[in-house]
Amino acid sequence: MSGATVVDRLHDVARDAGVRVRLHAVRLDHDEHRARVDLDGDEPVAVASLYKLPLALAWADLVAAGDLGLRDPLPLPRTGRTPGPTGVGMLLDDVVLTARDGVRLMLAVSDNACGDALLDLVGRDRLNAHLAAAGVPRTVVRRGTGASRRRMKRELGSGVDDVDRVLADPDRDVATREYDAAYASASTAREACRVLEVLWSRRHPAHACVRDAMALQAWRHRIGSGFPHDDVVVHGKTGTLGRLRHEAAVVCFPHEHPVAVTVLTEAVRPERHLPLVDAAIGELARTAVTVLRRPVDDPP
Amino acid sequence: MSIGDGYRAVVDLLRHLRFFVAVAETRHFGRAATDLGITQPPLSQGVQKLEGHLGVRLFDRDARGVRLTVAGGRLLGPARALVDAAEDLLDQAGRLGGPVRARVGLCGDLGGWTPVACRALAGGSGPGLVVPRVAGSDRLLAELREGALDVAVVRHPGVVDGLVGGDVVGLPTRLLGADGPLDVPLAEVDRPLVVPPRRHQPPAHDQLVDTLRRAGHDGRVLEAADPTQRAALVAAGAGVALETSPGAQASGGLPPLRVRVVLPAARERRPEVDHAGLAAALEQALRR
Repeated sequence: MSGATVVDRLHDVARDAGVRVRLHAVRLDHDEHRARVDLDGDEPVAVASLYKLPLALAWADLVAAGDLGLRDPLPLPRTGRTPGPTGVGMLLDDVVLTARDGVRLMLAVSDNACGDALLDLVGRDRLNAHLAAAGVPRTVVRRGTGASRRRMKRELGSGVDDVDRVLADPDRDVATREYDAAYASASTAREACRVLEVLWSRRHPAHACVRDAMALQAWRHRIGSGFPHDDVVVHGKTGTLGRLRHEAAVVCFPHEHPVAVTVLTEAVRPERHLPLVDAAIGELARTAVTVLRRPVDDPP
Repeated sequence: MSIGDGYRAVVDLLRHLRFFVAVAETRHFGRAATDLGITQPPLSQGVQKLEGHLGVRLFDRDARGVRLTVAGGRLLGPARALVDAAEDLLDQAGRLGGPVRARVGLCGDLGGWTPVACRALAGGSGPGLVVPRVAGSDRLLAELREGALDVAVVRHPGVVDGLVGGDVVGLPTRLLGADGPLDVPLAEVDRPLVVPPRRHQPPAHDQLVDTLRRAGHDGRVLEAADPTQRAALVAAGAGVALETSPGAQASGGLPPLRVRVVLPAARERRPEVDHAGLAAALEQALRR
């Protein structure tokens, strides 16, 4: 099957779902030139909560290097931590976790409180320097979820108490700078896959902790929906903000090389719940991953 | 097939040569399609047809990308010359054609607003001569990208990448049954809604279906591209329609028909056309 044909099919799915898509997929085998599928995978995109993935990589690398401890305390007092719909972010009382449990909640349920606390722990400048050195220089974490939401409130008007509702207004075409890769935390589909490649190449327990937590991600409506097979493990991390819906994942079929795939989408519909778009992300991922599947003992 | 096969074959040849040149310049089918304002399947098919027509392979394609073959490299210069000459010819013809006529696209969903919009443009205070074109939003957006239209009113939401979209305008709607306007809540309508085909603007269609379900309707639709066919289906009692027209009293609880005025990107506009004036006149007409 030629590269052009796969990309044609990706375009068709994207048009039908009403999304703009950037996609990159790569087979995690031992070839020097790994097989890939790409659709505008080098275009920078605002990543929303997907920033938690490179943050997890940097944290694990720093633990492996001895700069941070797996079980360093992560205090999450009820005042001061970032609220959110899941995890510690939705609790009412003071919490103290270990760093690695914070990482697990940050990845498995996209916990905003843990994400921002870990960003503070690692430090934004150290994180970005680490990402540049790790070969993903266009992956930039400019701020965490709490700061991002405060900026949107200022941008959309001081009276705005529900940013999500304003962004979802079907009678307006509302944009925010947080959709803009030049102002928000950003990456590219290729670099998000590169982060997964590095995570899957490391042998330290901190990296294993990150991979495990991604397999436990609570939602399967995006990339997971493209692989509705009980024996296929999808290690994923989503990112969502307004019209942005993303996921980066490693898809593991038994006895095959894992395949990393990143699907970054921007929908033209503003509504918060678009199951058709979530399902299209699964379809896009399946389309790309299918051409890259290969048994582990298959000779090159 | 030879060029002697007629005008259509020549037009196809020029069109496919444009495809060839665009792919050769971008080395990427996706980017070439974006530049041409079309989707990738017709681009790939066009290049394949050209390769069949010329009897040579123009590109090597593999997972790493697209490269010109030796034959493709030799033919690129002559192809470019033909494409440029054709564009010069059309430019000159356009200048000889008398007064400038703005080419205005109106989506087929606009109902009674269509003549209102046309009068607003062509009337005494409007920008002047216009050539209206009524089609599905998908067609109009493709033609804006190809440079075949100067302005269009399309359904919102839809993909307007590479174009400039104005504010969203919500046109009030009312339910229309076989015997005229229906004053019942959507939840009590047990017939499908007669609508334009989903492919005309998939996100807008999906948004409407979700809205119907939210209101208690079952979301069934009957799709028909031709407005007369839709009117016939409604008159025959096969379904009901969401009608929009100026002056009609809107019924409560119904979604508006959301549209927006879309212009080509600034650098793609014909300098002899007053795009801002056209857009302002259209928006004003639709907000009455």
